[in-house]
Parts: sequence; C-alpha cells; structure tokens
Amino acid sequence: MPETTMQGVTRRDFLVRSAAMAGGAFLSIGVGPNLVAGRAEAAAAATPSYTPSIWFTLTPDGTTTMHIVKAEMGQHIGTAFAQIIADELEVPWDKVKLDMPLESVENFAIYGLAYTVNSGSVTTEFDRIARAGALGRIALTEAGCKLLGAKLADCYADQGRVIDKASGRSIGYGEILQQVKLERKFSYPDEFKQVKLKDRSQYKIIGKSVPALDIPMKTNGQAKYGMDVFLPGMAYGSLVPPRTRYASKVLSIDDSAAKKIPGFLKAVKIGDSIGKCTGWVVALAETFPAAVKAAKALKIEADPGPYGQLSLAGIMEEFSSLADQPQESAAWVLEGDVDKALPASDKTVQAEYTSDMVCHATMEPFNCVVQHAEDDSWHVHIGTQSTSFARMTLTAYLSKVLNRKPEELKIYVHQYLLGGGFGGKQDYDDILAAAYCVKELGRPVKLIQTRESQFATSFPRTPTFHRLKAGLKNGQLDAMNHDIVCGWMGPRFAVGKQFNNGTDWLQLDSVDGKNADIDQWSIGGSDHWYHVPNHRVRAWNSDRTTWAVQASALRTVSNSYNMFVVESFIDECAHAAGRDPLEFRLAMLNGQGGNRGIPNTGYPPGTGSDYYMDQLWISLPWPQEGSWIPYESGTVGGALRLANCLRVAAGKAGWGARKLPPNTALGLAVSSAEERQSPTWVAGVAEVTVDPGTGRYRINKLTIAMDMGIAINPDNVRAQIMGSALWGAGQVLSERLTYKDGAIEQTNFHEYLPIRQVDVPEFDITLIESGRHPVGVGEPASTVVAPAVANAIYNAVGARVRHMPITPQAVLEALQNRKA
Amino acid sequence: MPTLKINGQSYFSDSPPDTPLLWVIREELRLTGTRFGCGLGLCGSCTVHLNGQAVRSCMVKVGEVGTAAITTIEGLHPEHAHPVQKAWVNLQVPQCGYCQSGQIMQAAALLTQNPDPSDQQIVEGMNGNLCRCATYPRIVGAVRAAAKMMKEANNA
Repeated sequence: MPETTMQGVTRRDFLVRSAAMAGGAFLSIGVGPNLVAGRAEAAAAATPSYTPSIWFTLTPDGTTTMHIVKAEMGQHIGTAFAQIIADELEVPWDKVKLDMPLESVENFAIYGLAYTVNSGSVTTEFDRIARAGALGRIALTEAGCKLLGAKLADCYADQGRVIDKASGRSIGYGEILQQVKLERKFSYPDEFKQVKLKDRSQYKIIGKSVPALDIPMKTNGQAKYGMDVFLPGMAYGSLVPPRTRYASKVLSIDDSAAKKIPGFLKAVKIGDSIGKCTGWVVALAETFPAAVKAAKALKIEADPGPYGQLSLAGIMEEFSSLADQPQESAAWVLEGDVDKALPASDKTVQAEYTSDMVCHATMEPFNCVVQHAEDDSWHVHIGTQSTSFARMTLTAYLSKVLNRKPEELKIYVHQYLLGGGFGGKQDYDDILAAAYCVKELGRPVKLIQTRESQFATSFPRTPTFHRLKAGLKNGQLDAMNHDIVCGWMGPRFAVGKQFNNGTDWLQLDSVDGKNADIDQWSIGGSDHWYHVPNHRVRAWNSDRTTWAVQASALRTVSNSYNMFVVESFIDECAHAAGRDPLEFRLAMLNGQGGNRGIPNTGYPPGTGSDYYMDQLWISLPWPQEGSWIPYESGTVGGALRLANCLRVAAGKAGWGARKLPPNTALGLAVSSAEERQSPTWVAGVAEVTVDPGTGRYRINKLTIAMDMGIAINPDNVRAQIMGSALWGAGQVLSERLTYKDGAIEQTNFHEYLPIRQVDVPEFDITLIESGRHPVGVGEPASTVVAPAVANAIYNAVGARVRHMPITPQAVLEALQNRKA
Repeated sequence: MPTLKINGQSYFSDSPPDTPLLWVIREELRLTGTRFGCGLGLCGSCTVHLNGQAVRSCMVKVGEVGTAAITTIEGLHPEHAHPVQKAWVNLQVPQCGYCQSGQIMQAAALLTQNPDPSDQQIVEGMNGNLCRCATYPRIVGAVRAAAKMMKEANNA
C-alpha cells in the first residue's frame, strides 16, 4: 500500500518533521501553544507546565489535562484514555481534565490524523499512551528525587507525589513543576521500547469503573455540541431536500414566495465542484425558523440526473445479475479449492441472502458553524468523527471554489461533542455547503439540517446481495463459497480527502492474482474464524449503487450484514448436517491454520488481506521505525477465544438445557468485528418468542459474552455492549431505508423506526477479561443480535428469513414456504 | 413582543408567534441544553416542562405559551441536583448525551405525576423519547432510582 499523503507530503515526512518541531525527540519539554493549540494549552503555557508528550500537560497546580484527539460520541473515550495515562503517570484521578486539540495543518503534523472509527481507539492507542504516561512518571520521579536529595532507587511515584522510601518525605508533581524546569528527554524508539509498563495487578485506575468525565455536563444542559456555537453576525441556513440523493442539477430557483418571509436573506445554489452537495440549495435567513420556512417556500426546478429513474428494485436486479458473472469478481478469501470440493461433498446447502439500506439517524442532525475571519482564516465549529478529514475536504473544496492554492488556505476545525456518530459523521458536505454560504453572504453561517433534509441527504449502508453454497462431508463443513455484491464505500469516501490521490483509499489487493482492489469496509466479516478447508469469498462492486445512494460506513461497517448472513447460513448448515448449532460451531472454532491468530499484528499472506495494522491505522503520531509494533495483536488466541465466548454465552443462556415456553427458542451467533486484524471476540444468544399467526416476534432476552482482553472501565464496557446490542436489535426488528426514483423515501422518525423502550429485552452480559491486549467495545456486540434472532426464529417456528430486517410479513411468508 | 417565563426568569422574545418554542429557547435565548431532534414531536429531544407537564417544545408555538411557566433542563434544579439528574449520574446513563436533556425532563415530569411507577409504566412513559445510543435499560433503572430517592426524601 502506498504511503498516505497529505498535500504532497508523505506520512513519513511529516512525522519526522513533527518530531523535529517538537524539539528533536518525541518527548521534550516546553511544547509551546503554537504547537499544541488546544483550548486549555494556551492558558497553561503561561505557567511552567510540562507537556512531555502530545497526550497530556501537567500544570503546577497539580492538574493533568489529557489532550483527546478522538471524537467523543458516546463511548467516553476521553475517560478511557485518561484512565490509561493517569495510571502509568501516577496522577490522582480527581485532578484529571480533558480537552480536545484544535485541528490545523500545524497540529495535524503533531497529533496525526484525528479520526475515530472501527472501535479502534483503545486498540491502537493503549500501548503508546501508556508508555507516554510511564515516561512522564519517570521524568517526574527523577526530578522529585533530586529535589528531595534522595537516592533514585528509594524513590517511587504514587498519586501525583514522588515519595522517598528512606526518609518518608515526599513532593507533589505540582511542587516539582513550581521549582524546576524539566529537561528530561527520551529517545525514540529505544527508551519507548525499554520502558516497563505496569503489570495488571498494579493498576489503580485501569479496570476501575470510574464515572465518565463527560457525563455530568450531559445531565444539566452544559454539554456543548456544534449547534451550541454562536458567532457575532451569524446567519442561519436550512437545506432544501434535493430532488435525488446524488447528482441532480438545479436548473432554476424561484424565491418570490421566500422573499415575503421576514428575515429571509437569500437562496444559495451550492457549488458542487468536487462532486459533493449535488443539487443542494440552502435558504439563508436571520433565524433558523425563518430559514426553514424560506426553504419550504423556494420553488426549485432540477434535473434529476443519472439516477433519477433508479430504485431499490433496480439495484437488487443489478446485484443478482452481477453475481452471475464470476469474471467480474475479485477474491477476498481463497483457501483450498472450493470448485473441486463442492462436487465432492456429501450434501450441499445453498441460499441467497439480502439486506436493506439503513442509516445512522444520529439524534443530532448534521450541523456546523463556519466563519471566514478577518485574517482570512476559516473556522469550522462541529462535532465530527474526523476533524482532520473535515479540514482536508474543506481545503480541497475551497481551493476550487475560491481558486486558491490549498497551502494558502488557513483552515481550523474546532471539535465539539457529537450527538451520536455511528460512522455517519465522517462526511462533510454540510461543512462545504456552509462555507459556500459564508462566501456568498460574507457572514458566519450556522447550517442545521432538518430531520427531513437529513434523511434525504443521509449516507446509508449499502443494500447487499449474497449467494452462498456449502459442501458438507461427514457432517462437517468442508467447503463454503460466499459471493457478495454491494456498493463499495471506499472510493466515494476518498473524495476531497487528499489520500492516495483520492482513488484507492482503503482498497486492498484481491488474493486471486488479479491484482484487483477490494474494499475491506464493504466485504470484511465474511473472512470469519471458522476452520473450513475450502473457503472462498468473492466480491463485486456496484459502483453505480455506491454513488447513487452515497453508500457509507455504518457501525461495524460490513460486519453488520455479513455476520447476519454468515451466522444464519452456518446455522442452516448445522441443521442440514443434523448437528446441534453450538456443537457444529465449536468444532470449527478450533484455532487451526490462519485461525490461530498471530502474536504480532498483521495477517498471514495468502489468506486474506496481507497488510499491517500501521498501514490502516494512519493516525500514528510518532515516527515509525522498522516494523516495531509495540503491542500484541488482538488476534492472539484466534478462534479459540471466540469459542470460549460462545461456550460462556451458550452456557449462561441455558442452551439445550432450559425449558422454554411455546413458540420460543434460543438462537446463537458469534462475531469478530470489526476487522480480521482487529477483532473483538463476542458471542450472543437471543431468546425469541414468535407469534405464528401474525409473524410478529419479541426478543425476550439477549445473553452476550465478550472477550475484550482488558476492560479499561467495566461499567462503561457494559453500557457500550448494551447500547450496541440494542442497535443490532433495531436493525433486525424495524430499521429500513428505501430508495425510489433516485431519492430516499423516509423523511422522519414515523417512517424510519429505531428501537424504542418497549422493544428492549432483558440482558445478561459477561465480560471475559482474558488479560490480552485491550480492544474496542463500542460496536461489536451489535453484530451478533440479528443472526441470533434469525436463528432463534427458525428454532422456534421453523421460519428461515434470509433478509434483514426481519419483518413479521417475512416471517409469515417463510412459515408458508415451509408448509408448502 | 411576548414575555416568557423560563426557569423563574422573564425573557423577551422577538420571534413571530408561530415560531416553535424550541427555537426561541435554544437559538434566541441560548438555553442550548434543549436539543433539536426531529421537529415533529417524534423523538422527545426537545422536551421541556410547561406548568410542570412534559411537552415537545418543537410542537409548541411561542405565541401559545402565554404566562405558562416554562422549565428547561438548565432550570430543573438550581444546583442541577434534581433526583432524576442525580440518578442519571449515579447510573452513568448518558452516552452521546444528545437526547438526555429530553429524557431527564420527561422522567422528572413522569415522577411528578406518578411518584411510584412500575417498570411497565416507566417504559410506557419514556417510550416517546428516542435514544440512538440505546441507553434505555439504564434510563429505566435511573427513573426507578430517582423515584426511590424522592420517596426517601419525603419520608425523612
């Protein structure tokens, strides 16, 4: 994979350059406010603060401010990071604060890519932030020891103080900073490698359910989201839902009715020069209600563009015809020889599966405030999953719109809380539109999407089509072929982001020698951890679909449909083999071959995607050297850890043992979301009761067991598992987006149905702390619910539904098919 | 120019009478704790109290409010220590937090009307408030805990 680039500078270049800017070594003192220009740092810089790394600043009052580059969108990541750093740094928890660094060209060079996705924050950052904390502790212990006149061997740090065992005297970190200027530097990577991290038994804050630092402000109205920003002279913008989701063209705007609305300023046809905001018209007014009224009053004539006749049925027809053309496919998994093994099997099982579009529908609709300041700098106020991509995309756009060189543009992105993300807040059309309005109006603009315009311009999960064929031999799964057709999000995501020239971002090489690209985020999850001697996954991209619906990443990305399909189909195979679905699964989760997991990160060549974590996880803010990856891969233990989760969940749910009411059954599923290289091991059991007369069903109980290695904050891990499992429940029960004549049909929450209180089941959650490297917990549990429910429905009444969501109508039809 | 009584204070609003109360509260008067979610009374993010009753402020026109006492999340308790708020922190309910002002206002009004609700009554009383993070089980637990707190305070 080529080096990622930003404005012609390679990643390696700017990482090395950032080290030079920070004083020649990674850890150095006195990083000034111009380099770490967060909100608190500027004030802190006036005092002799100590910023030994980019992740935290100690001030003489004894406070430690953690600089959180990750987006705070409900996962309480700032608290988790602060726990990790505070533990190694040995600072008291009640003296910990958080801030969020400003995104700019300068800060990007220091912090790296600010991007929060893939449940990856703890997985990828744990080791390095722990090491940075430990090195900070060493520097302070040395300095404190000197001030105490003690021997270093007698000194240790504890809760913000350096203590001399010999004399019993101690000195606080704050006092140390008041008395000396810290000069301690550490070499990279040697001293980073050498620093000894705490053993788990020594943790004081990691593993404790400390209250999340961002919760109190979310109970009293003080929490600030992007919409809570007010700038002098600010106008409001409201988007008119465009004629189609993508590529319509505005032909004319009649604003005669809008002009009669008091406060109306103007209607702006947004420039679509980088293929974003196509067909967008924003009504600007002095107040938001006036802007909404004006947007409704505008009469817009539009050319619907190339997708104006396209509907979901047409998309699905194209998918099934693509699947008939193997020459157009690219292989993602290739083990053994499926074509030879299938005819030689005792019995074959085949099925077609499909899934509908769904969207993020965050409670906070897209919104932002954009300002063009007097010094020609641009400021964006927003809660986003990537302030970096927001800045890069706006840079690409404004350079076209303003006909300026990208490097001339000074763009700053101010991060706020996100009212939900789920993969949805990594598109930036709203920022571009607001900036365009600012250019047209000459005033700051707050753009707020109405729920109606939000649905019309949402970034859905692609619809999908799957064809599966399995061969059973002696009751075992000997061969499995999984063909997947859908829209691939990667190429669309790259637009404006200036990565790899915007062409092959996140595209990996196929394993069939065709040297074709495959979009991992659209296919991943199909590369499951079951031992199947002959296994093939082939993928087709419907580029038309990607662009027509603006396919995007939605919580666990492709796992959200692939786990439904794989785990439902595995159950079908178990039943065809006449075996118990639990025992059938456990026999295949044997950790053989590539499913053993690997001690370091990466993936054995020839079994899928042979690239390394540091090539995907481009947020590494320190210089890379050689292939040293400091932490063990989350894949260690492989399928055996998944088997363990399954045994725990099945056991706790009483699989095969409990007496259940009529039309009630348990269903199983396992998942290793998010990616093959970054698994979180999870198993789920759903208890479901079906009404065979109506097809309606209720999820009574979800039993979830998850191995996340180490739970940084167990109470929050439980909250994340519960929330994500309910997300999965909503996906199987009722969430569905439809597409007709190029447009999304749903407009508000009476038509798009997320889960509500009345459908919440009972929970039994088990955290399995295997002591392995800690991994993300915000998403993976969502993937086991749909297949566990589908399998439970089958076990309860014999109805196999091969489509997600599972509607009562589909259950009824499956029952009738069974009888027929 | 209508005068509004919000959290015990008087506010003047310039907005036309057909303006949704939500936008007056959060954009004109800048009490931003009240959130916009759907604009059709379908999600509950904008819930405030009107004379102690939970209402969706996106569905109330500012001209219809008259002299009714409006309470927003900022004014639920002078120290932000209403039993519901305390329970919300104790049980670590919020995730992204965006819907939680509305959830808390809904829960507080529910407990005023029914100080000892059953779990079923809590579920039904809170069903109109969407939470995309699905903090639902903790919401039910926190309403239960707040009810207990209020009962104990009354008995003390």
